Amino acid sequence: MTLAFAEPLPGVARPAAPGQLDRFTYDDSIVRKFLFATLIWGVVGMLVGLLIALQLANPYFNFNTEWLSFGRLRPLHTNAVIFAFAGNAFFCGCYYSTQRLLKARMFSDRLSNFHFWGWQAIIVSAAVTLPLGFTQAKEYAELEWPIDIAIAVVWLAFAANFFATLAKRRERHIYVALWFYIASIVTVTLLHVFNNLAIPAGAFKSYSIYAGVQDAFMQWWYGHNAVAFFLTTPFLGLMYYFMPKAVEGPVFSYKLSILHFWSLVFMYIWAGPHHLHYTALPEWASTVGMLFSVMLWAPSWGGMINGLLTLRGAWHKVAEDPIIKFFVVGITAYGMSTFEGPMLSIRSVNAVAHYTDWIIAHVHTGALGWNGFMTFGMIYWLLPRLFQTEIYSHRAMSVHFWLGSVGIVLYVVAIYSAGVTQGLMWRAFDETGRLAYPDFVETVVRLLPMYWMRVVGGLFYLTGTFIFGWNILMTWRRRPAVYAEPVIEAAPLSRLVPVIPSTAAKGSLVQRFNSVAWHRRWEGAPLLFTSLTILAVVVASLFEILPTFLIKSNVPTIASVKPYTPLELAGRDVYIANGCFNCHSQMIRPFRYETERFGEYSKPGESVYDHPFLWGSRRIGPDLAREGGKYPDLWHVRHFANPRAITANSIMPAYEHFLTKKIDFDGIQKRVDVMVMLGVPYGDAVNSAAAIARAQAGLIAATIASQGGPANLEDKEIVAIVAYMQRLGRDIKAQPITTGSR
Amino acid sequence: MKLADIMSHAGLSFYAQVALVIFLAVFVAIVIRTFLPSRSKELREAALLPLDDAAADRVRARRNS
Repeated sequence: MTLAFAEPLPGVARPAAPGQLDRFTYDDSIVRKFLFATLIWGVVGMLVGLLIALQLANPYFNFNTEWLSFGRLRPLHTNAVIFAFAGNAFFCGCYYSTQRLLKARMFSDRLSNFHFWGWQAIIVSAAVTLPLGFTQAKEYAELEWPIDIAIAVVWLAFAANFFATLAKRRERHIYVALWFYIASIVTVTLLHVFNNLAIPAGAFKSYSIYAGVQDAFMQWWYGHNAVAFFLTTPFLGLMYYFMPKAVEGPVFSYKLSILHFWSLVFMYIWAGPHHLHYTALPEWASTVGMLFSVMLWAPSWGGMINGLLTLRGAWHKVAEDPIIKFFVVGITAYGMSTFEGPMLSIRSVNAVAHYTDWIIAHVHTGALGWNGFMTFGMIYWLLPRLFQTEIYSHRAMSVHFWLGSVGIVLYVVAIYSAGVTQGLMWRAFDETGRLAYPDFVETVVRLLPMYWMRVVGGLFYLTGTFIFGWNILMTWRRRPAVYAEPVIEAAPLSRLVPVIPSTAAKGSLVQRFNSVAWHRRWEGAPLLFTSLTILAVVVASLFEILPTFLIKSNVPTIASVKPYTPLELAGRDVYIANGCFNCHSQMIRPFRYETERFGEYSKPGESVYDHPFLWGSRRIGPDLAREGGKYPDLWHVRHFANPRAITANSIMPAYEHFLTKKIDFDGIQKRVDVMVMLGVPYGDAVNSAAAIARAQAGLIAATIASQGGPANLEDKEIVAIVAYMQRLGRDIKAQPITTGSR
Repeated sequence: MKLADIMSHAGLSFYAQVALVIFLAVFVAIVIRTFLPSRSKELREAALLPLDDAAADRVRARRNS
């Protein structure tokens, strides 16, 4: 292997004499480990996805089991697919390509292995804690604080290993794929740390330091950029490496890839607020988010076109090579979801789509198409190289491709239809000016056939994944007894600052500009490059997020809004632990069809004590922001015990265990204390939370008994959650809004 | 007086506009630099980095022909 430049550029070290070449090998065993992890977690994540798809089609599949209910498993599905399947796939491709692009073995095999085993341990702990109900209630950031700390440690180990490898590279130019990796690594670090700032209230319980509007803003800054910097930029890096590999030709336009990179870094970070249109978020923030989201269309499509046109002169391979088929469909899915994303971020479109399945269809175009198919293509390309043998079955690759493609179409078409159907039904009025479908459940029942179609689509996709796994295992079984480790030879990068020939000072302005040392060093200096990326990301984040924290007019407070009582707080924690926010929003938008259905629209000042915010992002069930006082206590008891006893066609899981599980009264004080630390004015409850909670529980239990319900519920979780339900949205009914700050 | 009181009255919106202009200027500089004719050769070579030597040579031969 030689220096990649055909002839040395001014200021670049000349190729070393043969005697000076470094000899080294690449660490492919770590790549193989991540490959198997990708497969295992892919299967697990998709199986859980199939189960929760069944649960929505028929609540029987919740099996009346607390830890198998939809609210507990939905976060497990999203986390498994994002961080376990896509995450391991990224690491797999990253370790393979980084070493080769830098002509250097990873800095430390130990760190690589620490990263691998640490990441798998985190996934296992997620798979245990999420079904048990330990959650921070923030989408894709559900994991509780001890796991969050572990994630930070493992991620920083990965980063240290990566940057140390950059530092000892033997290739001066840092290829664009690596830029995407760098941006992903640094931005994910920031996102993870700032969104997960919380005060622990127990071994697996914490409260976000932010509340209400600010928490929502922080969460969706994180949530959207998790999509950007965990599912998009890492996979774009993979695309810019593996697509040219598969085609055996360079990317269509390297210049376009540079613009693709910088525009994504400059724009993506602003887009988060489009998840909060028409909520209690200030309108200026929602406008900024929308504007940047629409602008993102241009670089995203530039990147998609760049990926697809890499096939120029090799289009015939699309018909022959299943690997390129996977890449082409993957990149096309990237194009479709990055067209749809900007469209959905336009406020008027978002008004129909928000809270519906449309969003679910959108993310599955991205996850199944872009992340899934790019992963499959990449791994099929890697298999013969990593296991040093022929792929076991080419036919199976084609079968997998078609099963996966049909699966995506079935899934996406069904769920788009479900989303648009429900969005339109919610807003339909009849000729007398009343809601055409006043019963929420009517809008759910209409979706069930499409939910079944989704199950079928998921089965297709999953079957394809099983074939993928079988093909991997059969290929692995043909591996040689000992893997060959080719020795690579490459010249070390000169540590000296390159000497600029004196001629460089002459010539046109452009020539002189281009020959000065600064920009070559700039490009050669990953540290500076990384700092600039961080700067772009941080400055954008600060300008967008800080005003809601620091400029008072953004969150007008409401005098009559008071903290939750200790019992209501305990009930809120039951609500969080059971993942109720996965199906129920607590954010009524200012539309007539929403206020008619649910009541007065939600104000920013109403959630100032909500650590964390629970606005939700999807309405599989009705909004609960004004639930308090709508029904008697007993209604809630019966409804929780068996939702179908109250609403015949409800798809909500039963929560019979609320009637038997006891409230941990003694643990409430600790939670109240943490709330006080966060600035929630608790007054009397500071020292007597348990006693206050017991008193309120006794009253509610007596009410339930007097309404003809079961007796002796005063120490059961049901009274806590009923207390919380009955409190929701009642505070503002007392007094007018006043401007000021908490 | 809390930090929020100070920030609310400091009239900071001007800074956001300054940041916008700086961001735009940096981005334009990146675009110009990327499309400088003198960098063309370097970037065309950089695009070959993922390829192995034989494939890269084939591309170079095609470009020269």
